[in-house]
Amino acid sequence: MHSGILYSTAQALREILMSLVGVPLLVDIIMTVICATILLLIMATSALVFTLGERKICAFIQVRIGPNRVGPGGLLQSVADMIKLMDKEDIVPRGIDKWLWVLSPILLLVPSALIYAFFPFDDGVILADVNVGLFLLIAITSQTVLPFLMGGYASNSKYSLIGGMRTVAQMLGYEVPMVFALMGIVMLTGSLKMSAIVEAQSNVWFIVLQPLAFLIYIVTALVESNRPPFNLVEGESEIIAGPFTEYTGMRWALFFLAEFSNLMCIGILTTTLFLGGWHGPDFLPGFAWFWIKTFICVLFYQWVGWTFPRLRIDTMLSFGWKVLLPIALVNVLLTGVGIYIYNIM
Amino acid sequence: MAQTEKFVLNMGPQHPSTHGVLQVQVELDGENIVGATPVMGYLHRGIEKLMESRTYVQCVPYTDRLDYVSAMNNNLGFCMAVEKLANIEVPRRAEYIRVICAELNRIASHHVFIGSLTNDLGSATGMIYAFRDREKILDLFNIICGARMTAHYIRIGGVAADAQEEFLRDTQKFIDYVPAMLDEYDRIFTGNEIFQARMQNTSIITKEDALKYSMSGPNIRASGIDYDIRKIDKYGAYGDFDFEIPLGKQGDNWDRYIVRLKEIQQSANIIQQALDNLPEGPYMAKVPKVLKPPKGDAYHRVENTRGELGFYIVSDGSTKPYRVHIRRPSIVNLQALDTMCRGMLLADAVTAFATIDPLMGEVDC
Amino acid sequence: MGTYFEIDKLELLKAQFDTAEFDAEANEPAIYIGKEQLLDLMKVLRETPTYSFDRMSCLTAVDYKEYFEMVYCLYSRRFDKWVTVKVKLDHDNPEVESMTQIWEGTNFEERETYDLMGIKFLHHPDLRRILMPDNYDGHPLQKDFVPLEPRIEGGVLTWHKQKSSS
Repeated sequence: MHSGILYSTAQALREILMSLVGVPLLVDIIMTVICATILLLIMATSALVFTLGERKICAFIQVRIGPNRVGPGGLLQSVADMIKLMDKEDIVPRGIDKWLWVLSPILLLVPSALIYAFFPFDDGVILADVNVGLFLLIAITSQTVLPFLMGGYASNSKYSLIGGMRTVAQMLGYEVPMVFALMGIVMLTGSLKMSAIVEAQSNVWFIVLQPLAFLIYIVTALVESNRPPFNLVEGESEIIAGPFTEYTGMRWALFFLAEFSNLMCIGILTTTLFLGGWHGPDFLPGFAWFWIKTFICVLFYQWVGWTFPRLRIDTMLSFGWKVLLPIALVNVLLTGVGIYIYNIM
Repeated sequence: MAQTEKFVLNMGPQHPSTHGVLQVQVELDGENIVGATPVMGYLHRGIEKLMESRTYVQCVPYTDRLDYVSAMNNNLGFCMAVEKLANIEVPRRAEYIRVICAELNRIASHHVFIGSLTNDLGSATGMIYAFRDREKILDLFNIICGARMTAHYIRIGGVAADAQEEFLRDTQKFIDYVPAMLDEYDRIFTGNEIFQARMQNTSIITKEDALKYSMSGPNIRASGIDYDIRKIDKYGAYGDFDFEIPLGKQGDNWDRYIVRLKEIQQSANIIQQALDNLPEGPYMAKVPKVLKPPKGDAYHRVENTRGELGFYIVSDGSTKPYRVHIRRPSIVNLQALDTMCRGMLLADAVTAFATIDPLMGEVDC
Repeated sequence: MGTYFEIDKLELLKAQFDTAEFDAEANEPAIYIGKEQLLDLMKVLRETPTYSFDRMSCLTAVDYKEYFEMVYCLYSRRFDKWVTVKVKLDHDNPEVESMTQIWEGTNFEERETYDLMGIKFLHHPDLRRILMPDNYDGHPLQKDFVPLEPRIEGGVLTWHKQKSSS
């Protein structure tokens, strides 16, 4: 049914397990555990790769050299960073809401790890191909706002609180246009299933059919992942680091990890929803195309981030409500009309 | 019952965007500012008091530490005040070299302004570009006097050493680079939509307010008031050069930025003229080894990068000044901060700090 | 450099204010005025159209051990003229009218003069210390100033007289 190296490897593994264990349910459980572990590993490695990548790319944009001391050409810099972060003193400020404060970074990591289950990495390679995939995905990503607000409230710091409040405001302002923009894709595909969305792009990518939705999605994705120029939540020149001002060491590293995981998420989502997912010419396997596209997307988001100054909160919110939302609605209308005309022809 | 209340947010002295150790107590209603009170003194070193126990020559290095990003201008102000007090005639060549250095330093200081402004607006990339170009000027200072920031190059009676061929050549090279540099800034910052949206029509200082708060320097010129000591007093060799005073229209953050950008162009213009007409001759007047100005007092002001820098010196006829008072533009300009921030958003406060361009070494003295 | 205020105008002022004095021999004579008439003189200097000294360029004080002297350097943008006004103040109780009543921009400079020199400005809107710590006792620019010793007591920075051994 499916082709591709990853899929056939998984099938082979399943057969070996089947012959060893014999119980189908048990094999399913083992396979799921293996897949989840691989996904978590991808997430952790991507954080390592992206820290270095981000610093090197940012250095390139800023006419600097970037990290070049640890390992050959600074390749081990993120390992050194990781060791440093683990080694740091865990400072718990006075007057905080202890439970909320401790839970916030952990809870933040949950949604950003969970959505990896819905990404089709290759033909048939998707951990949970549920029939409401896109819907679930949006629902889960919008949960990231809660830990931010929790951390902001529990830190008992004014900077954190302002940051937490800003998260809520921008989530409300930008989740709606994003959903409406993605509506166009759902209308074209006729399904919310992630694999079906990729399948529908086997001939024409949705970036061609849905250019408006693509532009809206780029903007809203930057907001969702708190990337500059929309990083108001941690706008360091105003509110220092927003919700995670009061966190140190590994707790802070969890925020950091979530941030990079989110960055990769929006890269993967852009690839999956608009750039044809794992589709590509045959000389490379599907998953290679998938990662190439993802990295190009991430590079693009970093490029944008290191070029523009930060927006102000009022400009940003009015842009979301007054510009993006109407455009997204027009896009839904145009898509409907387009489908109608296509069907008539 | 749910209710809202105002709260005070401390920005600084340890905060990523306050310049140096400025503390601003911002009173907030949500994200809206209803008041801003600057609190100073974290860098107070008592320079005025220290100068009372040093000889006139020993005082000059202290002026480097006032406004440490435009040290040459401060040296110039103090030296000219002492020269006025002791009636010392400065050679023409020294005056020209002083102008070259002061204007180079003005450009370097505006680089710091642009850098910190863009950084405060959330674009760290801009800072690196501005500081990269500032480095070129600091290297020039390194050639001429061996120091990069706290130069102590302008001395009482002239300058510490003659301008070498190498310095003049490299300065010319830098001046030739200025148009390309400004063009690059235009492409990175000035033309940026977000940059414009955040700066235009924010933190407006009207003409009346600018006069009321005795502001000076680019800040008052951005409000449309033609007030530049270089043009008014024509101190030193400034009378010889032809340059324009860029003026703003309405005194918002954008005007303050544009005025400084244009000033870089004008400074380069002045340097070019000074380089072309650099007279030959001595670079130092005959100043007695033990300088004892006659009894009396003198006030002299120069146009620092930040505005009107004045030195009031009282001499009791001994080798040490009896009293030195420094009229620092930064501290006077800071009075407008409350007016600038009121009614704006929190993010605008940061822009306001940046465009008013206070330097804590000078504010706290 | 702008020129100094003409002698004949100084004579006019002297006729108008009985405590006004100046040294006609000096190169750039400063007007000395009694502190009661300072505010009136300044108002005249600022508001008379033929004077219009609209900028308080420098405001400071000098400690001459027997007395304090306030120094005001005024500049007229319109006529490009300078004038220096000086007021002698009692050393034990230095008090003078605040110039913020005429030039609002002297606020911080007066606070600084109060902080470092100990001169009290009457009718100043917000006369607090500006550079020194709020709980500091003493004014550093006075000639007989002895620095205080910082000590931390109960988490609070306090200031104490130094032992007289040195």
